[in-house]
Amino acid sequence: MTVNEPASTLDTDIMEVNMGPQHPSTHGVLRLKLKIDGETVVGCEPIIGYLHRGTEKLCESLSYPMVEPITDRLDYVCAMSENLGYMGAVEKLCGISVPERADFVRVIMVELNRIASHLLWLGTHALDIGAMTVFLYCFREREMILDLFEEFCGARLTYNAFRIGGLLEDLPPGWTGRCRQFLKVYPACQKEYEDLLTKNRIWLKRTKGIGVISGEEAVEIGLTGPSLRGSGVGYDVRKAHPYSVYKRFEFDVPTGENGDTYDRYLVRMEEMRQSLRIIEQALDTLPEGPIRAKVPNWLKPLKGEVYHSVESPRGEQGFYIVSDGTDKPYRMRFRGPSFANLQALPQLCVGHLVADVVALIGTLDIVLGDVDR
Amino acid sequence: MTNRIWGFIKSVLLIELLIGLSVTLRNQFRPHTTVEYPRETPNLKPRFRGIPRLRKNPETGEDLCVGCLLCEKACPDDCIKVVPEKRPDGKGKQAAKFIINYERCCFCGLCVDPCPTKPLTAIYMSHDFELASESRTKFYYPMNNLYEGAQIKEYSR
Repeated sequence: MTVNEPASTLDTDIMEVNMGPQHPSTHGVLRLKLKIDGETVVGCEPIIGYLHRGTEKLCESLSYPMVEPITDRLDYVCAMSENLGYMGAVEKLCGISVPERADFVRVIMVELNRIASHLLWLGTHALDIGAMTVFLYCFREREMILDLFEEFCGARLTYNAFRIGGLLEDLPPGWTGRCRQFLKVYPACQKEYEDLLTKNRIWLKRTKGIGVISGEEAVEIGLTGPSLRGSGVGYDVRKAHPYSVYKRFEFDVPTGENGDTYDRYLVRMEEMRQSLRIIEQALDTLPEGPIRAKVPNWLKPLKGEVYHSVESPRGEQGFYIVSDGTDKPYRMRFRGPSFANLQALPQLCVGHLVADVVALIGTLDIVLGDVDR
Repeated sequence: MTNRIWGFIKSVLLIELLIGLSVTLRNQFRPHTTVEYPRETPNLKPRFRGIPRLRKNPETGEDLCVGCLLCEKACPDDCIKVVPEKRPDGKGKQAAKFIINYERCCFCGLCVDPCPTKPLTAIYMSHDFELASESRTKFYYPMNNLYEGAQIKEYSR
């Protein structure tokens, strides 16, 4: 054996590193098995199941109205969308038509929740990348929306706001005025975030060209929501399969061009503005009238199955219910957008630095309550 | 050409960073929006859903609960247990035992929905939410602790 060993023994090895499940920027309990070559990621394997609660099985032992609080806890950041999707599925199954006013109020709530959800996404995404200030401002504005929700349904996160056939309670007096005030205040706030981020050179360096995915690939993987629209595919459940009263409102579906993190950021920012437009139109044309259709206390749908999907802030949130004619569902299946979107992560990560992985988890906007269910 | 020069000047002068800093500077002079919770009580809205409690008839002081078990059936968490009995005057029923296990309660408010007593429901979502306790058994609330005003906190600020 010679003293001078050949240079080949100094080669770098591919190393496996665990990221999570307790990592602050995995937005929950996501564990990533990263294969890294120096600082570059060459492989990534998401390991999920740390938040698994057996929700789908649990629903089989609950009657239809009892499932609603459970849908709150799937994607807890946008519980209103989950509520709307589940209510839509049950109403489709039982053939209940919802009063117009209830539909309008539901749309207002869901769109407000979309803004709140995107604000939380923007704050945490920017925080992961290193812009601390935006996080604080976003939460300040989100608080205004949560106050509106608290006034309407009494809760700030797990709303349980709607009931099968309509709403439990009408809007409290003065609520529309306060909502309009929020609509007036909010655009200036969003301009502040854009001032801080959109042209900031650090933000551009961290997001432009990171995690590029083409439209075809995105469709193949099953991405939905802003993550898909960032790649230029204008698929939005609200436009493609209109549900509730979305047909009556004018709004655009923003799409990106390059399919990178920056485009997905722009798409979400524009989506918030479109949500404001929808809320404004809904408030202007809010009809008077009853808020709840007549629904028996113990709901027993006929035998059959139904699939209903809504556009949650993260993508297509689907509810599949099989009924066997009793008051409990025979099978309940949730199609979570976060779960499908997470599948794109291994492909997005390859070739980027470890520091970009946190940006990529942020840009897919996953909620682990929805991934694991 | 002028565009490129302008772009160069912008990048040298850090214009976009200065715009961002002006935003943060403006926010220095805004009023606080945070509530220092343990010291200040948060401003709860009228419909706020805290723990479910029982209500007595405000005029006669009688129990409103008629022991119909609808709330027990509506609860998704199985946290309510009601044992009904006949009322002493012979008309209808009342609850002999009414136990709520706050360990399981998810504050969904579904128990209030089917309550048949009108206009005030016997069970309602109160504004109390501070339930911390040192022992799990203390989360079983018997009937006399469920009425309004009954102390639920066992610690002080």
